[in-house]
Amino acid sequence: MAGLLCLAAILAGMPRTNGGDGAEGACMAAVAVLPTAVSLQGVGERHRVLVEATGLPATEAVRWASSNPSVARVDERGVIEGVGAGRARVWCSMGGASNAVDVVVGEGREEAPSFRREVLPLLTRLGCNQGACHGKMAGQNGFRLSLRGYAPELDHRWITEELAGRRVDPSDPEGSLLIAKPLGRVPHEGLVRMEEGSREHRVLRDWIAARAPGPLPTGREPDPSRLEVLPGDRTYRAGDARPLVVRAHWPDGTARDVTWLAQFFSNDEAVARVTGEGVVTALREGETTVRAHYHGLVAAVRVTVPTGRLVEPWRFGKRRSAIDDAVFARLDALGIPPSPLCDDATFLRRAMLDAIGTLPNPEEVDAFLADGAPGKRERAVDAILRRREWADYWALQLADLLQNRRERDHDVRGVKGVRSFHAWLHGRLEAGAGWDQIAREVLTARGDSFQSPAVGYFVTVVGEKPPAESEAPDSVAQAFLGTRIGCARCHNHPLERYTQDDFHRFAAFFSRIHLERREPTKGGTELVTWSKERHEAGRRLSEAASKLAEAQSRLLAADAGDAAGKEARARDLEERRREHARWKREVEGLDRRPPSTVQPRTRETVEARPLDRSAMTWRPGGDAREELAAWITSTNNPLFAESMANRLWRHFMGAGLVEPVDDLRASNPPSNPALMALLARELRASGHDLRHVMRLVMTSRAYQLSSATVKGNESDRRFHSHYLARRLPAEVLADAVAVVTGVPERFDGQPVGVRAIQLPEPQTGSYFLSLFGRSDRVTACACERKGEVTLPQLLHLQNAGETMRRLSDREGLVHRLARRKGDLGEAVSELYRVALGRRPTSSELAAILPTLEGVPREEALRDVAWALLNSKEFNFNH
Amino acid sequence: MIDITFGQPRGRCDGLRRRDFLRLGAVGPLGLSLASMMAAEKAGAASSSASASPGLRRARARSVLLVFLGGGLSHHDSFDPKPDALQEVRGKYGTIPTTVPGLRVGELLPRLAHRMQHFALVRSGTHENDHHETASNWVLSGRFGSPFGDHPSMGSVVAHETGFGGRLPPYVSVPRNPSFTWELGKSSWLGGRFESFSAGNPNEKEWRVRDLNRPSGVTDDMLARRRALLSAVDRLGGRVRGNDQLDTHDEFGRKAAELVLSPNARDAFSVEREPVALRDAYGRTDFGQSCLLARRLVEAGVRFVTVNYGGWDHHAKIFESLDKKLPELDMGLSALVTDLSNRGLLDETLLLVMGEFGRTPRINKDAGRDHWGRAGSLLFAGAGVRGGQVIGATDKEGAFVTERPVRPADVAWTVYEALGIDPKKILTTPEGRPVEILDQGSAVHDLYG
Repeated sequence: MAGLLCLAAILAGMPRTNGGDGAEGACMAAVAVLPTAVSLQGVGERHRVLVEATGLPATEAVRWASSNPSVARVDERGVIEGVGAGRARVWCSMGGASNAVDVVVGEGREEAPSFRREVLPLLTRLGCNQGACHGKMAGQNGFRLSLRGYAPELDHRWITEELAGRRVDPSDPEGSLLIAKPLGRVPHEGLVRMEEGSREHRVLRDWIAARAPGPLPTGREPDPSRLEVLPGDRTYRAGDARPLVVRAHWPDGTARDVTWLAQFFSNDEAVARVTGEGVVTALREGETTVRAHYHGLVAAVRVTVPTGRLVEPWRFGKRRSAIDDAVFARLDALGIPPSPLCDDATFLRRAMLDAIGTLPNPEEVDAFLADGAPGKRERAVDAILRRREWADYWALQLADLLQNRRERDHDVRGVKGVRSFHAWLHGRLEAGAGWDQIAREVLTARGDSFQSPAVGYFVTVVGEKPPAESEAPDSVAQAFLGTRIGCARCHNHPLERYTQDDFHRFAAFFSRIHLERREPTKGGTELVTWSKERHEAGRRLSEAASKLAEAQSRLLAADAGDAAGKEARARDLEERRREHARWKREVEGLDRRPPSTVQPRTRETVEARPLDRSAMTWRPGGDAREELAAWITSTNNPLFAESMANRLWRHFMGAGLVEPVDDLRASNPPSNPALMALLARELRASGHDLRHVMRLVMTSRAYQLSSATVKGNESDRRFHSHYLARRLPAEVLADAVAVVTGVPERFDGQPVGVRAIQLPEPQTGSYFLSLFGRSDRVTACACERKGEVTLPQLLHLQNAGETMRRLSDREGLVHRLARRKGDLGEAVSELYRVALGRRPTSSELAAILPTLEGVPREEALRDVAWALLNSKEFNFNH
Repeated sequence: MIDITFGQPRGRCDGLRRRDFLRLGAVGPLGLSLASMMAAEKAGAASSSASASPGLRRARARSVLLVFLGGGLSHHDSFDPKPDALQEVRGKYGTIPTTVPGLRVGELLPRLAHRMQHFALVRSGTHENDHHETASNWVLSGRFGSPFGDHPSMGSVVAHETGFGGRLPPYVSVPRNPSFTWELGKSSWLGGRFESFSAGNPNEKEWRVRDLNRPSGVTDDMLARRRALLSAVDRLGGRVRGNDQLDTHDEFGRKAAELVLSPNARDAFSVEREPVALRDAYGRTDFGQSCLLARRLVEAGVRFVTVNYGGWDHHAKIFESLDKKLPELDMGLSALVTDLSNRGLLDETLLLVMGEFGRTPRINKDAGRDHWGRAGSLLFAGAGVRGGQVIGATDKEGAFVTERPVRPADVAWTVYEALGIDPKKILTTPEGRPVEILDQGSAVHDLYG
């Protein structure tokens, strides 16, 4: 009871201030019920109803009553149970307020428990078929189940047929291992999973007693289409414990309470926990998602626990755009104060590093600081986005995403192919091509890799495997849609609705890719799209055509006097004609055949379908990738714009709206849905212009907040209350070290002066770049680029002989500054301007200069440069 | 204080989150992040004891020393000669007797022949893959994956399970990880913190392990001055709180400075301290000096050392190459086993020698031998292995295994078991997927019989 009563405290969606102390009197007492109507199939079926009250003290008791107990009864927790067919109202009252639920009880009879709807979900909920137990490929101690029940037919066979029927024995349900093991009556390595006499126990027993019926065909027992979690997104106070109710909806309109069959997970157990029965307990301030799984479906609700502190409105400063409205609304609701704006020097360095991977030089810093006119940050952003380094830096980002690399030793394109794909990407960005355009061009690239370098994408992701069995479907989904479907290759995705069928249908789009690898001297790798059969039939058709032509000319050339010879030639021509028609039909038939592949588990041939299962129309003889590219980039497909918006947001803000950045799914909702919608809309409306969204982000106040924390926002990593300081990416850091030492790094196979951010190949040898985590581009996962700080990195920064050599180089910056006469403080200041984009403060100079007394000038400057190269301010964008 | 974190699950295939993984995942070599290092000792201890399956033998070995013959050593010309086969199978070399009665090896291995009493020779290594990348990742991890290495190498798993003991990284590769087109045998989904520490090539002139020594010309005074300057310059941390990366930078900055000042850590890498005679005994070759460094590292407590000795991919003119390489192998490996034995280290070190596959029985038109996963030879020594025995056999042509096949998973199982690591233990990928260290296999118990 106590848990339920806590509901009275806060009503969903109410402004935060109403949840505070003494707020009860502020609003009228009211009671809401969820859902407002319940339909039960028959006697014995149960459905729980939740109550939410406003304006009532939390201690107020809830009373339940049924208008007709012979139709429906209700217990003290709000669980309604069908007693007889008919209609009834169930009343809920609390304090002076009340509300009612309309209940209909149908004529349905109690039947044996359904294998798919009840037995399998129960086994899943009890954990029997999880990956660590019987659900792994090898099973556990001889008993195997499909992972979380994705293959009901197999499960039924394994349960009922193996082990000589000892697992289920209809003549002795209680003696069946399926009951004795999880009850712990006999030794079970997985220990006790259910209690004697529990509902789970009863269902399994009744199912076995009914002779363990197998899964009904989906025609007779349709799958549910949607899951709903009540009460939805809600705000909690730490300590609140409230139940969830999970409703499954079927296409015919029926809905059932499946809370007792569902599995619950909290995405962050530090913020809120959820019990196996679906009771959420808020633990600490923050926000998390609680998700419920049932029958391959998933639904999630957001659990928000504000700090309860008020953020004074002035802290939000002047909002500059809709981005600020969206970000600050969340901070306000959560009670997290934002940091103030960063200073101008920090802004310029930050903006240049994020947008073009380049440090500002001292002249640029001075000019920016000297500019007194309003709107100078906006003007700076515009100028930065127009710089030529922009295409360098974003070609690098896209090349990571599109895995531009040499695909092992059989990639005959060699380095040349990788460089030309890089140059192509660079060119498309320079030309201002939209992301949708680039995506379409890559996804439908065909022909020779020298003429059409984007073919390299498929050379890498398809590799040497048959295309439908290659990494192509995984990579394409992750790179272009920010979603991971790899799990579904072998079993239904446990966290998403993607089934194994969905995966292989998606893979079928790639089934006709064929890579013709030639010796480099004879041209590049050529991508053609047709099946082997079609290729063969096409060859036969052209053979038949030339034979037909021959026969025709032979007949024409026949000697008029030789009737027999002429007749023979005419017969031959007829034969050739039939042969030609046969191959023509064959080719046309093959061209009409939709792209397909074989689902390895069911061995069924499945036709290509996009991930939303929408129907496709095929052009005869067309390239299915055209349809795929159209679907991916279609405005109806929210994932395309959302995933790029999320990547851009994370690039500039340090944390994605969804994390990991390429794991968009219903069970992993964005931290700020309104902002996600806004960014995706802007991206689409601008023709997928990356610079447009960058400009929006960079000119927002949210982007320009200081990285210095204020009291109350120190632990925020998700809601953008301050700029998240982060280590510079490998290539950017390498270039920055080159600038500070004044000695460029030389890369193998590249002319001097080529910057690390311009390198086309991830395989270019560089200890520094590997150490600081550049992407190897082996997969489409954004996680391949490593931002973490490691011990060897610090060892390298402190001790690398190479850095020492560059700091002592006669062409280097330190040497040049040492030779220049003048005040040591001025030289130190110059090093600061180069490395950090600002002058030292007087207190910094006061700490530095005494340390250097009596030290030779060049040595002193070298030591200062060393210290700067090891400082966090240099190594981080902040 | 509020605690609003990256609460999103990294989950892909299960409800476990990366945070849990980091918390439980404990320890690693130099690539370790701060949070996991802090949690190291206790979490590592807790997770290994909790999961050890009943009946698992206790550790036989403190360390594993793997000599990896990348490219694939020809078993015909070394440890599994077929003197009675046709010339095109037999090859150029004769055979010589060894200290083990009845056992003969190729004639270019006279020193090893004198030390076969230390080794158990497995002639029945076998699998079904003939690609360098896929096969290397397979034999180095014990699990079949893609050419990119779906599964972490044994060394990385060992680093994950045993942790950062003292100042030395638990997993070191000499000179570096194997590489064929790209780096192989990596930490895969365990992450960079469990990657091997590359020692570099100790046979190079003026070799120093990378970044572990102060650069030449840097005096104590200078070091002290730089530290003072750094603290004057480095003020960002004071203004930003709650940023793990910034804190890690500080923490590892201190740790790095300590390492450089620690004589123990640097000494472990100082092959130049070895007597000249011993250095010469190992051979003044990349391989010989790598073996010597490996011995020092094992002695200093490194748990898994890989000596990566590639260049065995002899598709053409195999005998010209083997004439040069086999004596190097013979010298370095026999010096290593003798040295380990003399120092009493062999009792607690499992020495394992293998490549990713053997080579084809028939010599090809270019006078070479090609890739052959079906058969290959391995050597085991130390840590309770009964030396002087031969396990398994191949047919008359050395083409197929006829007795006691030993598969990659069996080798890895043996290694884990020797170190007291439960091969059935479940690790969690960053995506939250539970994965057994090994999904099949069993220890080669004959080794100890």
